[in-house]
Amino acid sequence: MPNEEVLKCTSGGITCEVSELVNELIKSLIREYLGNDVAEFTAGLGRFMLCRGEFSEAYLIPKELEGLVTKLLRSGRVPYSVGMYLGRVRSRKPRFVPSVNLLHITYCELGVRSALVVSLKGLKPFLYGNDVLKESVINCFEPVRRGYVVGIVGEDGYVYGVGLPVINSCSELNLLKGSDVVALNVFDVGWFLRGGTVPRERMFKV
Amino acid sequence: MVSDSIDFNKLWSRVRGSIDEWVVRVAKRFGYREYMIARYLELLGSRDEVLKLLKAFESELRPSIRCNTLRVSDCSYVVSRLRELGYDFERIEWEGTSFRVTKFGSPSLGATHEFLLGMYYLYRGVASLLPPIILSPSKHDTVLDLAAAPGGKTTHLAQLMGGEGAIVAIDVSRSRMRALRSNLERLGVFNVLAVRMDGRLVPKVFGRVFTKALLDAPCTAEGLIQIDRSRKVRTLFNDLVKAHERQVELLNAALDSVVSGSYVLYSVCSIAPEECELVISEVLNMRDDVEVVPINGPIKFCRGITSYFGIELPSDVRLCCRVYPHIHGMEGFFLCLMRRY
Repeated sequence: MPNEEVLKCTSGGITCEVSELVNELIKSLIREYLGNDVAEFTAGLGRFMLCRGEFSEAYLIPKELEGLVTKLLRSGRVPYSVGMYLGRVRSRKPRFVPSVNLLHITYCELGVRSALVVSLKGLKPFLYGNDVLKESVINCFEPVRRGYVVGIVGEDGYVYGVGLPVINSCSELNLLKGSDVVALNVFDVGWFLRGGTVPRERMFKV
Repeated sequence: MVSDSIDFNKLWSRVRGSIDEWVVRVAKRFGYREYMIARYLELLGSRDEVLKLLKAFESELRPSIRCNTLRVSDCSYVVSRLRELGYDFERIEWEGTSFRVTKFGSPSLGATHEFLLGMYYLYRGVASLLPPIILSPSKHDTVLDLAAAPGGKTTHLAQLMGGEGAIVAIDVSRSRMRALRSNLERLGVFNVLAVRMDGRLVPKVFGRVFTKALLDAPCTAEGLIQIDRSRKVRTLFNDLVKAHERQVELLNAALDSVVSGSYVLYSVCSIAPEECELVISEVLNMRDDVEVVPINGPIKFCRGITSYFGIELPSDVRLCCRVYPHIHGMEGFFLCLMRRY
């Protein structure tokens, strides 16, 4: 798949595109939301694809799948999913909601950032779709900004979901009461149980 | 003489003709359709064996888990976390990362944090672990997984490939594709292209590019009576014929998608010869570029049958493998490894 080539296909109301324009868009979103090191790291693993339908979803196509994706798009079909699902691209803030897998790889390979570490007691309600309260936050990793997202991490180091913080830095935690909401639930892995066979989009609260 | 094509009308009349008083009595006692018992007698050769099979179908299957090494490097970590929830396990000796549940805890294995984090895949029975092990793909392979959803075998193939190489997972069902995607994300599998399409169109779309193919074909699940008791009466002989036709088409598509010298593994969670040896026989009769090859499996299988109600099948079909609940202690299964010249 040459870098300058534009691959685009529409089928069943979904348009998937692999192009330099898409590559730059997704790279810039990852850079804005997770940092330049993550943008460079993921870009080095393959090419980006954006599929726009009812929602816009970004994927990372590993090199081994590039030829197969090219054949598929040229046949007039679009993938159901490919490689790593990176997250959803939105027209309003947060403009990018990274997937649990993107956050997991980021934290493992490049270090934890934009994250709230939550106690086991706090994780249980979170996995039922509830928000994260101040009393369950054990640790906070900058940058944490309103309008952006944070990873919700367990004490075991695993990513349990994505939240939308209501604070503008970790230091603002001190201004909150124990029962105050720190981050709204955007996505949690409980979805794999609750909504694994229904469209994920219904589960998003923001 | 080996039959060229299966005459299902003749077969049905022979099956019906073999229903005697004993068959009627046993069918009534265990709650089966009579034609099924008549077939089991033909398949197993003795009334004793049939009764052993039927009694095994009455027993419970114990679930198993496959530790997902794409997510966790040490499977004992997963087991120890689950033991804290009250579970206990025994290792499945022929699959190093899988464990059979010996004691249940809470919450259910499909609702633990460990499940949600993709640390393991949950199986109702262990026979589903066999096809990926037998196909044994490497990170250099480009694998086709036809009828892939909900993804137990796809994610197992990916695990065996160390998350490298390429897998194309095809399924036609929208709801099952959602489950496949959910499982790929949950288990952190990144080397899969998942496509919702009719598997019969794969050769047209991708050409002959695959180095290995798995067809765990849609079937009537006659091997899963332990899990779904309604299967005792749900399926008519005509349903088996329809399933057979679809299986033949999909197997031909798989064979048309692989490069010369490649292996295609056909499997079904069924013990119905109509979905097993008769499918292989039909395909062997249709093509001159394919052979059945022996399986060096992790367990001692029963051989495929080569004669069924007077229909003689190609002798190579004997190289196919059968799994029976009363012999192997797992769900009924059929596997056949083929190589395209």
